[in-house]
Amino acid sequence: MANKFDIQIRAEHEYAVLETAGYLNDSLGERLSKEAQELIEKGYTQLVINLDKTALINSIGISILIEIIEALDERDGTLNFCGLSATQERTFRMMAIAKYAGIFPDEKAAIADF
Amino acid sequence: MISLGENKEQSDMHLSSAEETIQRLLFSLSELEQLGQTLISGHSNFNVSSKTYLRITLGTLQVPSGAILCYHSTDNYLSVAASTPEIETNQIEIEPDEVSCLLESPLVELHSPPEDLQDFIERNSNFLNGNEMHHLWVPLKIQDEFLGILSLGKFLGRAKLEAWEQELLTILAHQISIAIAYSRNEERIQSEKFRLFMLAESAPQICQLLQPDDAAEQVVFQAVALLDANMGALMLIEPQHKHLELQYVFPPELLNTGDDQQETDNKLVIPIGDIDDKSTETETPTSEEMLVNVVKNGRTDQCVSKLDTLFGGSNLMAGPIQGRDGDILGLLVVGDKEVRGGSVAEFTFEDETLLDSFAKQAGVAIENAHLHQEALDARLLQAEMEEARKIQENLIPDTLPDIPGYEVAGHYEPRGPVGGDYFDCIELKAGGWGLAIADVSGKGMQAALLMATLRAGLLSELTSARGREEDKLVDMKNELIDMAMTLNSLLYVSGTEEKYATFFYTHLNPETDILTTLNCGHNPPLIVKNDGDIVWLGEEVGGLPIGMFPNDMVPLIAKFEAEQIKLESGDLIIYYTDGVTETVNIDDEFYDEERLEQLGKTCSDIDASQICELIYKSVMDFQGDADQFDDLTLLVLRKK
Repeated sequence: MANKFDIQIRAEHEYAVLETAGYLNDSLGERLSKEAQELIEKGYTQLVINLDKTALINSIGISILIEIIEALDERDGTLNFCGLSATQERTFRMMAIAKYAGIFPDEKAAIADF
Repeated sequence: MISLGENKEQSDMHLSSAEETIQRLLFSLSELEQLGQTLISGHSNFNVSSKTYLRITLGTLQVPSGAILCYHSTDNYLSVAASTPEIETNQIEIEPDEVSCLLESPLVELHSPPEDLQDFIERNSNFLNGNEMHHLWVPLKIQDEFLGILSLGKFLGRAKLEAWEQELLTILAHQISIAIAYSRNEERIQSEKFRLFMLAESAPQICQLLQPDDAAEQVVFQAVALLDANMGALMLIEPQHKHLELQYVFPPELLNTGDDQQETDNKLVIPIGDIDDKSTETETPTSEEMLVNVVKNGRTDQCVSKLDTLFGGSNLMAGPIQGRDGDILGLLVVGDKEVRGGSVAEFTFEDETLLDSFAKQAGVAIENAHLHQEALDARLLQAEMEEARKIQENLIPDTLPDIPGYEVAGHYEPRGPVGGDYFDCIELKAGGWGLAIADVSGKGMQAALLMATLRAGLLSELTSARGREEDKLVDMKNELIDMAMTLNSLLYVSGTEEKYATFFYTHLNPETDILTTLNCGHNPPLIVKNDGDIVWLGEEVGGLPIGMFPNDMVPLIAKFEAEQIKLESGDLIIYYTDGVTETVNIDDEFYDEERLEQLGKTCSDIDASQICELIYKSVMDFQGDADQFDDLTLLVLRKK
């Protein structure tokens, strides 16, 4: 796995997709948080985070994801995840993240849920 | 004297002020209750709720501007969690004695700060004077833990807060402190929960990986994420060379190849010497010494020297990886532990325990993958050997032709892994006979294929041109030398540097009984003359094995030569491969040429087939219970 950090943003009319690539640690997480906050400030309350190109997440990355969930919750918004590996999905469910955010196999399904 | 009218007006004003105070208190209590519920419900991230806390505080106290600064004890700095108006700022460094001063102060008025804070305020004058939000500071703390600062700007319409407002400020500051502490505690719990889940999840995941490279990669990935690290590496012990060899490093670009490191085949290796020798331990080991000591002592350690030239990372921690039987297989290295905010932290005792637990699982996974690979390799090798054996057996003649006036017999005995022995006796179209014996280097499929190439080349040469000039004796020698050069070229381009063949070829003219021989690095055949004299054929003119060097180099080293002899009735020639003379017995003695010579002298009254059997039996008796790994090949020619 190359350690190339990247975030691609695809903002549509009613929702926005944030696609990460690389290790979701503090560095990538802070960038993701900043991008998500900016979208929320612009009025986006339906976000998808696509983790298909992120094989690794550490505890700081997780706390940042939880922070984004809470930030959206304050605006009565929704966060859906997609592209999770089986291990990531199990971890998200065990961490109860799945209680506050949707988990979908791909972007299409995540968007269709809004 | 105050008139009744004035009293009523004043009374109304006081009532209005009291109502407003009550309204502000009700607003504050209602917001605080809502925040309290948010805190209890688990939505406690202070990065999210800080703006609300600030809004309530400023609204309740009627202060137009302010900020909440959070303190990060690992790196001694303050960051702005929320501010009104919003401002962008970097980390604000703060010294421990300044933190102590803030802990002791209930309130700090910025225009008359305590002496211990004056330097801090001067250092950050740009940040503090550049806006109106820093008039009064309330240190945020829980018991003796400093958590941050609630900063208020100038108060609306008054110089200072009323007493009841100050009490309310104290309550609000305490609520904010609880929220920060709760949020951090929740973050710690979430982090520990995540790491425990990861530890539980990673074991079955890595144990399913059957390729050693995949297992190495995943072990490093999981360790890096588990320990909040930004680099990781797996090094395994290479017992044969007594060194640690890098299997995988993350991220790959971190590998720093300095002069003080030994590299083999682009792999980082660290010599470990004798595993029981503890003499390398020093008080301040380098990162390399630390890694070697982890392997030797079998316990997790951190590099205290910080001279981490090894991977380019810093703050390394390494744990031993053990196999099922407790043997140390290698070590797992993690480095550059990060904390929120991007700085590098030191690994804790809990981190060491976590790495130990994970390394135990990693050991099983790595051992599994290597055992699986070994089993696959063995199965593949066995299948290849069987194929090679079939190829080789097809190349050895079942029967040899009758040569008028001569007896000829051969024997081939496979022993151990497939080798590359070959013999043949070929009738030449132009008249005469060709007798060949060869031993190809190496074992297995490559040896079998090289032998097949040699045989094909030989047959091609013999059926095309060689032997045409059989009556011109001098030219026959040149013919064989030319043939050797052709075969040399063929084998050289067919194989690698290590692939070559020793080869002995004899052209027999049964009408003249002239033998023209060519020795290309092969064991000299034994001639037992009819009077019992012994001659080792081609001993003086033994050239290079074929295929070892390119043709243009052959004359510079040892050119091919041919010689001729005339056979007489009763003369016996024994061709053999080194599987005969280099057979060892249980005392590690060679069968050697002398035993063959003595045996050859006893063969005057038996035919060629019986001679083959006699020699074979003699060699096997000599071998006894000793292991043998080389094929045994004999070719016997006797002039009747």
